Amino acid sequence: MLKLFLIAVCALCLTTTAISADSFTVPVEYYTLPNGLKVILSPDSTAPTVVTAIYYRIGFRIEPRDRTGFAHLFEHMMFQGSQNLGKMEFIRLVQQNGGVLNGSARFDFTNYFEVLPSNKLETALWAEADRMKGLAITTANLTNQQGVVGNEVKVNVLNQPYGGFPWLWMPQYANTNWYNAHNFYGDLKDIEAAKLDEVQAFFKTYYAPNNAALAVVGDFDPHEAKAMIAKYFGAIPKADVPAMPDLDEPRQDKEKTVTHRDPLAPRPALAFAYHVPPRNTPEYYAMGLLNEMLAQGDDSLLYQELVKKRGYTGDLSASINELGNMFDYYGPMLWTVSLVHDASVSPRDIMNAADGVIERVASQPVDQKLLDRSVTKIRAELYDSMTQLGGFGRANLLACFALFDDDPARINTVETELRKVTPQLLQKTAREYLRPENRTVLIWEAGAPASGAVKSGGQQ
Amino acid sequence: MKRIVLATIFLASGIAAPKELPPEGSAPRPFHLAKPDDFVLPNGMKVTIVPYGVVPRIAVRAYVQAGALYEPADQVWISKLTAKLMKEGTATRSSEQLASEVADMGGQLEIDSGSDFMTAGGVVLSDAGPRFVALLADVLENAALPAARIDRLKTDLGRDLAVEKSAPQSLADERFLQVLYPNHAYGRVYPSDSALRGYTIEQVRAFYNGNFAGARTHLYIAGKLDSGLREAVRSSFGNWKAGTASNETPPAGVKARSMQVIDRPGAAQSTLYIGLPVLSPSSPDYIPESVMNALLGGSFASRITSNIREQKGYTYSPISMIGTRGRAAYWVEAADVTTAVTGPSMKEIFYEIDRLRKEAPGSPELRGIQTYMSGLFVLRNTMSADALIAQLHSVDSQGLDRSWLTSYVQKVNEVKPADIQRLAETELVPSKMTIVVVGDTSKIADQIKPYQQAPAQ
Repeated sequence: MLKLFLIAVCALCLTTTAISADSFTVPVEYYTLPNGLKVILSPDSTAPTVVTAIYYRIGFRIEPRDRTGFAHLFEHMMFQGSQNLGKMEFIRLVQQNGGVLNGSARFDFTNYFEVLPSNKLETALWAEADRMKGLAITTANLTNQQGVVGNEVKVNVLNQPYGGFPWLWMPQYANTNWYNAHNFYGDLKDIEAAKLDEVQAFFKTYYAPNNAALAVVGDFDPHEAKAMIAKYFGAIPKADVPAMPDLDEPRQDKEKTVTHRDPLAPRPALAFAYHVPPRNTPEYYAMGLLNEMLAQGDDSLLYQELVKKRGYTGDLSASINELGNMFDYYGPMLWTVSLVHDASVSPRDIMNAADGVIERVASQPVDQKLLDRSVTKIRAELYDSMTQLGGFGRANLLACFALFDDDPARINTVETELRKVTPQLLQKTAREYLRPENRTVLIWEAGAPASGAVKSGGQQ
Repeated sequence: MKRIVLATIFLASGIAAPKELPPEGSAPRPFHLAKPDDFVLPNGMKVTIVPYGVVPRIAVRAYVQAGALYEPADQVWISKLTAKLMKEGTATRSSEQLASEVADMGGQLEIDSGSDFMTAGGVVLSDAGPRFVALLADVLENAALPAARIDRLKTDLGRDLAVEKSAPQSLADERFLQVLYPNHAYGRVYPSDSALRGYTIEQVRAFYNGNFAGARTHLYIAGKLDSGLREAVRSSFGNWKAGTASNETPPAGVKARSMQVIDRPGAAQSTLYIGLPVLSPSSPDYIPESVMNALLGGSFASRITSNIREQKGYTYSPISMIGTRGRAAYWVEAADVTTAVTGPSMKEIFYEIDRLRKEAPGSPELRGIQTYMSGLFVLRNTMSADALIAQLHSVDSQGLDRSWLTSYVQKVNEVKPADIQRLAETELVPSKMTIVVVGDTSKIADQIKPYQQAPAQ
């Protein structure tokens, strides 16, 4: 181990690369309509296309307690009909104008977006405003989407090996506050029990301009866009949005181990997750860099140890926010590492090896070059997300920074914050947050249980 | 049909304010395909460099004729094993050095084996472009293929194999291709675990030496271009051996009705694959065939999706597509449907196929699909540097002229309703379709029985 480490250090010495001088500034124009709608405009003439993305500050964390999965089911209902667009007409409108669309429910928001030829911006704004004004849906529409969502859960979780591993299960095991710890895809019984009046009430409560951010990214004229936005969204009334409940997770002071049996899986798997520092603190940025250094890419320390040196797994995946990235959430979050391994290797061996790696960053300040590389990696990821799906990735960051921080221009200062992280802060953050007591280990057992063993989904 | 439309309008105007029509939008802004800089090195390696975007990133991808197509029949996945071993270092760089050097450039070295091509490359910060090209050349030309690493990588691939084959969609896909392309590499999707364990470093080296060469490679570079790329390509790849380009004859594919059932006791859904070989991209009818596919099942608002998802709620993500393997093509409708409605789902899928074969679509429906595909074409060519490369490569690898791209939108818009019906009739013949069902046979046997044989024509 010592020998290998020396070679690695030497490789670093030989690398002559200075930090890349390439840079990019995102144009950001930000304002709020009198009814509270936050608007972010970011022109880009790369292609004659435009992204229209609307983000509502209603994620599955705060859905009704007796209706798990409701925020997501509701997202489906937003495609079922509004005042001027009947069932399937919204989808057809976008498609027949040469565009693509989607909607997603996440921890802290639900989004809806269209990528269209840029001359169809007005069409998209009109359609999004139309459904912000109200839904025109029937019980038949709801029954239909209950069937669709039930099939979504089946195809992604119930009929799939490693279904929901670790993204759906880890938050339920690692968190203690119901808002962070419930089954957000939804119990099929809850999904089937939803009523039409609940859908309408949910809409009235959360789908208001003062609870939303609208981002437009692409090849458009900002003056024209502003006039259109005022015309279509300006008259939509505000609503009284309930105060955010207490989402805080208590400090964890004891390691948790949970066993989950998956009869469909042919090999065992393992995930471990730590509660991360609060957003936008210096430690949060340090955690972002720790994620890069420890677990992103072939060069990362955990990859080198678990994949290359020990051969415990062929690959590992890791993220702060399994359903997005380290920027597009608001409430408490986990840094999760996961991998599939063979039955011949025990979870204990893997955790010991991982702890050895983590100890290296927690016991002493890391080399500045390693820190610089992590900044380069995260910057590269940011650049890629800015062009992802014709600019949707950029709209995503802008809308989240507007919704959660009232400051979409943060998109251009994130890198500065990352650069402020010192080897000492990185070490301090690793010590406080990558403690075993701050983590949950999820042992994913493969195959049908032997008689008398833990039953599916059982908890130790 | 006409009467229903009238009734709807009457009802709407009778009970509520008249509906507002969506604004049309403004005149379209012009779209020009990026102009690539194409050249060929003396060893036959083709190079395409094309500007894209404003963000300082650059995608570099080498497509090498070293995909599964070139595997010996008893060495399925030897190309995957070769791809993994190529990341284990070169004559002068250790694998750790490769990984850290590329990370410093803001990228990762990615080597993947597909059905026809091995792709090697990555996306890096623009100012690292020339250095990354040199590193990639080192990997392609001087891979060390160390024997000491092969056991670990075979164990990893064995794990990947087990995991992949546990997904119902993978089982359906494998069986479908086995039936369509028997005795051909396209039909050999997975190796057996024991065969995989037996592969040797000599076999890997033979595969590498036989397939990695300049004349078998097309290098694409797209992004915000820095200077020095052309020179970096010439100096790094100029001395690579030439080798010989392959020109494989595509397999015809089996067109015969068969029902393949894979039992998955307790499955909550049945995974359906229904399809057959169809006209490939080299056919003049390929673009009309693509329009037909988008209208029938290949888009969100398509007929099959509207039917079994938005009307019936049988499934979440049904999709039809035209898949290509080299210069062969097949059409398939894939859907995961709730077990209890396996039969009814098949009934609706065949109903929609039959309906399109009997009756040309209305002009407004077709016009909607044509506009969709025209818009999608712009997106496909502009969504990312890698998307642009994929478009150029798909045209080049099919042996088509680049004018295929510049005339694409016009050809999409020239398609007539009768063309759609004609192609559905000639290509989507139910009695020639392979049906794969992965599901709980104890619950679906009776439901799928009526589809075992095609109905009399």
